[in-house]
Amino acid sequence: MIIGLTAAPAPTTYGPYMSRQSLELLKGTLDIVLLKTLEAGPRHGYGISRWVRDATGEDLSIDEGALYPALRRLEKRGFVESEWGVSDTGRDAKFYHLTPDGERELASAVDTWERYVSAMSRVLGAASRA
Amino acid sequence: MIDDAARGSRRTGGQGKRRLLSKATIRDDVERELEAHVRMRADELVADGWAEEEGLAEARRLLGDQSELAEACVEIAKSHQRAVRRTKAMDAIMQDLRYGLRTVVRSPGFALVAVLTLALGIGANTAMFSVVDGVLLESLPYPDPEELVDVREARQDGGSMSAAWLNFVDWREQNTVFDEMVAYTSFPTTVIGGDEPVTTNVAMVSQGVWSVFGVTPLQGRLTVEADHVVGGAAVVVVSESYWRNQLGARPIEEVRLDLNGVRASVVGVAPATFDYPMDTDVWQPLESTGPQSSSRTAHNWRVVGRLRDGVDVERADEELDAITARVVLTEPDADPDFLAVGVNLQSLRELVVGSARWTLLVLLGAAGLVLLIACTNLASTLLARGANRTRELAVRASMGAGQSRLVRLLITESLILAAAGAAAGVGVGWLLVDLLRRTGPATVPRLQDVGIDGSVLLFAVVVTGLTTLLFGLFPAIRLARSRPQDALRQGSRGNALGGRGLSWTLLVGGEVALALVLIVGSGLLVRSFRSMVSVELGFDASDVVSTPVSLSRLKYESPFDHAAFYDRVAQELEAHPAIESAGVISRIPVGGSLPTGRLELDDNMDRTTVAGYVVTSAGALEALDVPLLRGRHFDERDREETPHVAIVSESFAQENWPGQDPIGRTVTGGGMDNFWEERPFAQVVGVVGDVRYVELGVPPRKVVYFPHTQRPFRIQFGAIMVAEAAGSDASSAAVPLRTTLETADPDIPLEVSTQTELIAESVASREFTMLLLGGFSLLALTLAVVGIYGVVSYSVATRTREMGIRLALGADRTGVVQLVVRSAMGMVVAGLVVGGLAAYFAGQLLEGMLYEVEPGDPLTLVGGVLILGIAGLGASWIPAVLGTRVDPMVTMRAE
Repeated sequence: MIIGLTAAPAPTTYGPYMSRQSLELLKGTLDIVLLKTLEAGPRHGYGISRWVRDATGEDLSIDEGALYPALRRLEKRGFVESEWGVSDTGRDAKFYHLTPDGERELASAVDTWERYVSAMSRVLGAASRA
Repeated sequence: MIDDAARGSRRTGGQGKRRLLSKATIRDDVERELEAHVRMRADELVADGWAEEEGLAEARRLLGDQSELAEACVEIAKSHQRAVRRTKAMDAIMQDLRYGLRTVVRSPGFALVAVLTLALGIGANTAMFSVVDGVLLESLPYPDPEELVDVREARQDGGSMSAAWLNFVDWREQNTVFDEMVAYTSFPTTVIGGDEPVTTNVAMVSQGVWSVFGVTPLQGRLTVEADHVVGGAAVVVVSESYWRNQLGARPIEEVRLDLNGVRASVVGVAPATFDYPMDTDVWQPLESTGPQSSSRTAHNWRVVGRLRDGVDVERADEELDAITARVVLTEPDADPDFLAVGVNLQSLRELVVGSARWTLLVLLGAAGLVLLIACTNLASTLLARGANRTRELAVRASMGAGQSRLVRLLITESLILAAAGAAAGVGVGWLLVDLLRRTGPATVPRLQDVGIDGSVLLFAVVVTGLTTLLFGLFPAIRLARSRPQDALRQGSRGNALGGRGLSWTLLVGGEVALALVLIVGSGLLVRSFRSMVSVELGFDASDVVSTPVSLSRLKYESPFDHAAFYDRVAQELEAHPAIESAGVISRIPVGGSLPTGRLELDDNMDRTTVAGYVVTSAGALEALDVPLLRGRHFDERDREETPHVAIVSESFAQENWPGQDPIGRTVTGGGMDNFWEERPFAQVVGVVGDVRYVELGVPPRKVVYFPHTQRPFRIQFGAIMVAEAAGSDASSAAVPLRTTLETADPDIPLEVSTQTELIAESVASREFTMLLLGGFSLLALTLAVVGIYGVVSYSVATRTREMGIRLALGADRTGVVQLVVRSAMGMVVAGLVVGGLAAYFAGQLLEGMLYEVEPGDPLTLVGGVLILGIAGLGASWIPAVLGTRVDPMVTMRAE
């Protein structure tokens, strides 16, 4: 997994649902977010986008469309698997869950991300003191 | 939170990661998933108070372009599916390989025999193919070799003659089908000027030779138009090998050579790739040697042309035929027997490869048969072994392996064996090629350049693939189909070798049939070779040594000087205690060729006959022990100034003077010694026995001998000095012959060999074919025996229980052995019958290679059948006896 340093240029759709300006995801970080949402257990695609909104208090928005190709890519790389089931609202839905490979990938991505963030914080903190 | 949904019922079934989906299913899956998203979003919006319709629309808007999204997802999913499919295939292959390797390793004895068998089969084929590839396919290393055509004059009777100079000139000037035509001739000449005098081939070539063959010089320049004119300076081009070996690869500017009395400057070196005519060391512009004969019946020149683009041989043939028919009319007085009526064209490749082609193809075919036997052998062994594996295979089948999977599994095993066999086979092939290069006869062109290259390796790979299919597929399908219960049921009523009677008859019988074809084929060659070497030569070769001698015409100007030189040497030799008699002769018997032409008889220039023409001293005929049947040998009475005499061979006398006394009749050499202007008739003074001059397999020709003292014309271009040893050991005469000649003239290159060696050389090519084919048939016999032995011992081993029961019930041990042997011999006999028929037809393919043996020779056929029959009996009897030497109680308790 690659964590990019530049912000995604993709246009983000802000619905009336979002009351304030959300942060765009950094390129490549979508994968970590998706793996993280599956850490607790299987979810369907809509559930994942709900969870992200809930967990971040709508600070972070996921382009709903981008979610599905990303899930398919993770599936291709063997980090998640999927199967059809029924949602708690009684609708057919495709549920994704982490594979052992996915769990390892998540752990290593989180680690990399944390080191990145702390390094960035140090750099930015130092700059502001200068 | 909606985690709980994971625990929802899975009514649509699991979709495991290895489950393969069709394209339609993938799209459906993606669309359903996106639609589910929209629905759930809409549900939530409605719960938040949206109207149903608006909620749905908003949900769609939020998701974005649904079909574009679906497209992107489908693409990813499809590439996922492809990756899964690949991995799955690789996994299966690896699994098959692992399983196959385990099976192979578990029976190392079988694996070793199998690999060895295949290595011999593939090795023989690789070697023969590399020879065929090198000799037949790459024999003309010139650009566009298919455009090169050999042109000869056609006689009335359809035979071919070399071309007359004027005819060649007319062809060259009038044709529209050739880019270029060249005339050439070549003969052995003494070349002085290098490190030592050598006799080598000097070719006279006409203008254009270099562009016909696309030659560029290695050093210096090639001859140009200014060199190819009457009276042009004497310049020559030498071969790379002459330049390296005789001129020390030094700069050529200063080098001058003496070619039989002509001094010539070397202007260039031709690269080693140019070797035409074969084994030429010096090329000389033929135009510079003077004006050529203006007779259209002087057949002195060989002609090669390069066809224009897109012109085929037939068209060229028609056009040259027409030109020839037109131009010969200018010579109405010429002898029609020797005047061209048209041309005979032949591709140059055909000419160069010549008779080697058929021999090599036969040998390649034989190697193919050996491989086929090896395959049959393995197939039957695999099938026999498979009988012990039905349980294992049934277990695999019950665990879900389909028939095709089982076949693949078994084929993989075969492939492992074949791959190992191929690797070892290429090694065997390399050794064989090396052996062929070192021992092969000189008559096979370019044999020295043969090697294992890319195309040979490709051939080996293809052969290995076919081999695997051949020996692996049949048993694999048989075994995959068989079910243990079938095997059990069949076992009790099959023949004594088990239930697969027909399969085994096919395999064992096929093997025997193929082996019989090879054995009979090589038997025919052996018989033919034996009758050839025991042929009546017409002279005694055992105590004779000889050397070709060619005197420089600078030192010996007149042909009579040559004759005098040879007489002097012969006298000195005969004075030597180790020498019985010695002399000079224009042709050595079994020397490969004999100049033949028109001779006139009985003082009548119109009474003609065609016969061989030999110039000899009396000493040479005595040394060769050619029997004198009537009259006398030449002697000191026959001198330049005395009346001319001749000796004729027995068959010459019989044909021309049947029932009459040939002594006192007259004969003259006509065009054969046409430097004699007055052409005096010579009186026949003796009759000698017929001699085989050409080669062992060619019947003796009618010959007239003239004394070298009177008609030395034909010995001035080279002759043979022969010496007969005083004792029975020919080689004791070799040293005196060499030293006497060297003392007489140190500039003569010598090549002393015994007559026995020359004869062996003349049959070397036949011997080579015979030995190779013999080797292949021995291999075939061995493989067939191993195959029969294997099948019988396996089948006996799998049926020990039945044997035990039979013995326990009081059956006679001999009876049981007989039962087994009888059913094995049934298969062998079936094979012999089919093989006998096949061998009869295969023998026809060898017809051109046989001498005094019929292709359907019954003795050879019966011999082959007996050899294989006895070998087959042994190969089935031994394992039958060993297999039944069991205690019935032990075998019965074992189950």
